[in-house]
Amino acid sequence: MIITAILVFVAMFALAGLLWLAKAHASASKALENPAEHIRAVDIEAFRNLVDPDEEEFLRTNLAPAEFRRIQRERLRAAVDYISCAAQNAAILLRLADAGRRSADPATAEAAEKLVNNAIRLRLYALQTIPQLYLGMILPGARISSGRIAESYEQMTRLVILLGCQRYPTRGVSAAL
Amino acid sequence: MTVSYLVGYYLWVGPHVLLAVVLFAMVRRRLYRQFPMFFLYAAFEILQFVALFTISRSPVHFGVPYIRVYSIGLALSTAVRFGVIYELFSHFFRRYPALEGPGRFLFRGTTIILLLVSVGLAFSAPGKSTNFLHSVTYVLDRTVSVLQCGLLVSLFLFSRHFALSWRSYAFGIALGLGVFACVELATSAIRLYLGDFGNRAVNLCNMAAYHCCVLIWMFYLMRPERTKPRVVNPPPKHNLDIWNQELEHLLQR
Repeated sequence: MIITAILVFVAMFALAGLLWLAKAHASASKALENPAEHIRAVDIEAFRNLVDPDEEEFLRTNLAPAEFRRIQRERLRAAVDYISCAAQNAAILLRLADAGRRSADPATAEAAEKLVNNAIRLRLYALQTIPQLYLGMILPGARISSGRIAESYEQMTRLVILLGCQRYPTRGVSAAL
Repeated sequence: MTVSYLVGYYLWVGPHVLLAVVLFAMVRRRLYRQFPMFFLYAAFEILQFVALFTISRSPVHFGVPYIRVYSIGLALSTAVRFGVIYELFSHFFRRYPALEGPGRFLFRGTTIILLLVSVGLAFSAPGKSTNFLHSVTYVLDRTVSVLQCGLLVSLFLFSRHFALSWRSYAFGIALGLGVFACVELATSAIRLYLGDFGNRAVNLCNMAAYHCCVLIWMFYLMRPERTKPRVVNPPPKHNLDIWNQELEHLLQR
């Protein structure tokens, strides 16, 4: 009886979730109407600093262990915010570039294709890195590599500029990145 | 003839008639090239309905031959439905080549986890039916429902996480199938618990869900597909000053 009740509950929950996801999909296209408004600025240098192993080593040797753990947790929390921001920007750019892929101009279509791939890659990295950062918050001594995120984000920013220069409505987006 | 009988009859016949309309629309729009598994599934469902309806009108009514044809049809239809789910995943892999590796990994990983969960459920809650064949059929039905529901929900979560845009036809097929899979998971669990093949309320609930699912397919597959996303107020095509300013702004950082 309990298993049946759990399964019925799970099925109803899945149905509600599915309908919510379908509704969210329909409203997601609204983000395209003014992409710059939805883009949040990401300071790549600050992010690099937060995940820099040398910086971490410096803090470790110059601070008391308890103080280091506290600061390190704060740094990692800030890094999670940066990555979440970058991943959100990537999602918006992905939708924008998706539209650009259908452009009649081959150069625009190619730049848009690259942007789509980079945005997907960035979201994949974010998916892998965020749990690692949370693990780092629990174990502040653990080494975490997040350099790929910064590189991918910079590559993506360059592609937005390229796409914007060619034709597509990315006005304001590159400035916001 | 009671209202319940009429409703039951309508829910049996109606969705298949509407599915035939969907099939016709797919042929007209040549959608069978893009979604061959779904086309096969729809055609098979109609064929199965025609066979079952004919048997039910014959002197054997809902006897043993009917149950045999129904069981074989159910097994085949379930197998084809897995094909449709894989087709929907592949739809994303084709559109987004960067996702092919992680996407296939996710599909396989989710399938294995769901399979382990449903096998665990099969052992921990095997059902009440005294008839071994019925019991095995119900357990398999629930196992398949857990797998299909889980895969479709993970497909939606996957597209949500990567902010992927669906083609509206694929979206409609996935949504309809997802709604049906969720309801079927609930009804298969109840059916296994009751151990009653012909529970009328459960069957009506399942048929009503299938009707909704066919209506969703009709809505999405019969309307023209929106190919271009809405972009309001696009800027002038060659406004180089703006782009140069933005480039300078980026280089100064």
